[in-house]
Amino acid sequence: MKLLDHLEEWLIATLLGAATLVVFVAVLHRYLSGLAIPGVQDYLISLNTSWAQEACIIMGVWMAKFGAAYGVRTGIHVGVDVLVNRVNHAWRTRLVIVALLAGALFTGIVGYLGAHLIWHLEDQTSEVLELPMRYVYLCLPLGSWLMCFRFLQVLLAFVRTGDLPQHDHTFVEGLEQEIGAPGPGGKA
Amino acid sequence: MNAFLIFALLILLMLTGMPVSISLGLTVLTFLFTMTDVPIDAVAIKLFSGIEKFEIMAIPFFILAGNFLTHGGVARRMINFATDMVGHWHGGLALAGVLACALFAAVSGSSPATVVAIGSIILPAMVAQGYPKRFGAGVITTSGALGILIPPSIVMVMYSVTTNTSVGQLFMAGVVPGLMLAFLLGLTTWFLARKHNYPRMKKASWAQRWSSFRKSFWGLMLIVVVMGGIYSGKFTPTEAAAMSAMYAFFISVFVYKDLKLKQVGKVLLDSASLSAMLLYIITNAMLFSFLMTSEGIPQAMASWITGQGMGMVTFLLVVNVILLVAGNFMEPSSIVLILAPILFPVAVALGINPVHFGIIMVVNMEIGMCHPPVGLNLYVASGITKMGISELTVAVLPWLMTMLAFLVLVTYVPQISLWLPNLIYN
Repeated sequence: MKLLDHLEEWLIATLLGAATLVVFVAVLHRYLSGLAIPGVQDYLISLNTSWAQEACIIMGVWMAKFGAAYGVRTGIHVGVDVLVNRVNHAWRTRLVIVALLAGALFTGIVGYLGAHLIWHLEDQTSEVLELPMRYVYLCLPLGSWLMCFRFLQVLLAFVRTGDLPQHDHTFVEGLEQEIGAPGPGGKA
Repeated sequence: MNAFLIFALLILLMLTGMPVSISLGLTVLTFLFTMTDVPIDAVAIKLFSGIEKFEIMAIPFFILAGNFLTHGGVARRMINFATDMVGHWHGGLALAGVLACALFAAVSGSSPATVVAIGSIILPAMVAQGYPKRFGAGVITTSGALGILIPPSIVMVMYSVTTNTSVGQLFMAGVVPGLMLAFLLGLTTWFLARKHNYPRMKKASWAQRWSSFRKSFWGLMLIVVVMGGIYSGKFTPTEAAAMSAMYAFFISVFVYKDLKLKQVGKVLLDSASLSAMLLYIITNAMLFSFLMTSEGIPQAMASWITGQGMGMVTFLLVVNVILLVAGNFMEPSSIVLILAPILFPVAVALGINPVHFGIIMVVNMEIGMCHPPVGLNLYVASGITKMGISELTVAVLPWLMTMLAFLVLVTYVPQISLWLPNLIYN
């Protein structure tokens, strides 16, 4: 379980970093190959970075699907809590359970739809990278089922302990030290 | 009838407190399964193709850039610079807060991020100088909202994605209203500070100003990279976002050295998870607007409204009221994603400029972020100041009034938003 958690975190952080890097390199390449430096220019032009955009999109979508599952675990998905905060405890518990079940239901169905899609897919490939779309779409069922699993996990924890993961949008990392000692930031 | 059913179901699901994205998705699935015979593979494809656009990738990149800037000491240097520039006027530090928010907004695309970045440094300093807590909180909560009006802006990217409006033009259109609102908020601050005689700071010498400018130079350069890059046509907005993320990473880690290399992983993870949440809402909202379109709801509404003889003036008034009310229940990205596809066709039918309409929506969202129950800026500010939400609500009132007046101005004077883009793109 711990392993899955780490894998998930590692995967989305890496995908975001890699996507940024890919676009950065592609842009850099576009401008550097415009510079007339003998030898270097020919070499740069011979490199093809037209795949960057597609790679970036695919990485982005993968990050989004798995990141959404990570978000369930950390409670980052925002809902409308006007009603939930007004009703008494018993009703609140019921609403939360319904909400979590609905989440699991939706992601479960979507995962199935994704799997169904892949199963019936003709042998298509992506436009530039020529990756089989089957693998590209794999993030749909995998991400969605992982999300479904996370919803059930949160539900189980809620029934057992009554706690929900709460993402604190107001928490500021390293804020305390920042106020306490303006020290090291003074340089540069 | 169908429209009514769809919205009733959506609202019912939302009231259980489930994530907005899930309620959107479930509404669509329920409707598609029971009422229509749209092949399910089409739905699955939509879930992928909804966010399979290069433009959308600007969102994670801008979030990443914003996080690097927040942790990387860029905000603090901007505050020092702003304080040296305007600190000697009435309410010096508060004015500096407004200016710093405006500067930071020009490198970051999100309001709460701006409140965090500027507020967490300047609020404690204000309290230490003897400002009442609520004054500081009021200034920063509302000025932080500039984050989504002054480009780059994540909300504008969302609007452009749902309505196929040019991101570049929207960004450009945000500049003048953004500067204007910053000025108005500053003016409100100045008047209040003069009335209550809040502390002023010693006037900084030009040498001091120059030195603080030099220190914040690397951060300010980012404005040039992003805006200059987009307008000169050197980068697409997404490329500019990726460049600014790399640039922000570079200056936080290697130039200012406020961010340790081993913290980078954490920043990446936080940004990825926040972006994934937004992208998940986008996917499901796309699904929702696919349903709306296939049921012909926006068109029906457009013809109904034009049939009522509702003119542009009344329509915009209604739009503002709807958006302000919606701002009481949902956060900005969801509102834009759900309502833009419905309101946009009507606006176009009435001859309202798409870019102008986008700016109206963004200003509405700004206001929504500054008042309860879901004003995210308020919660961020309350996290920093440890003030209760109801106390903060009173604290932001003077600035909120300014913003409302500004909203009316922007709504009915399209030139404010359209002047600059027209100048550049024509």
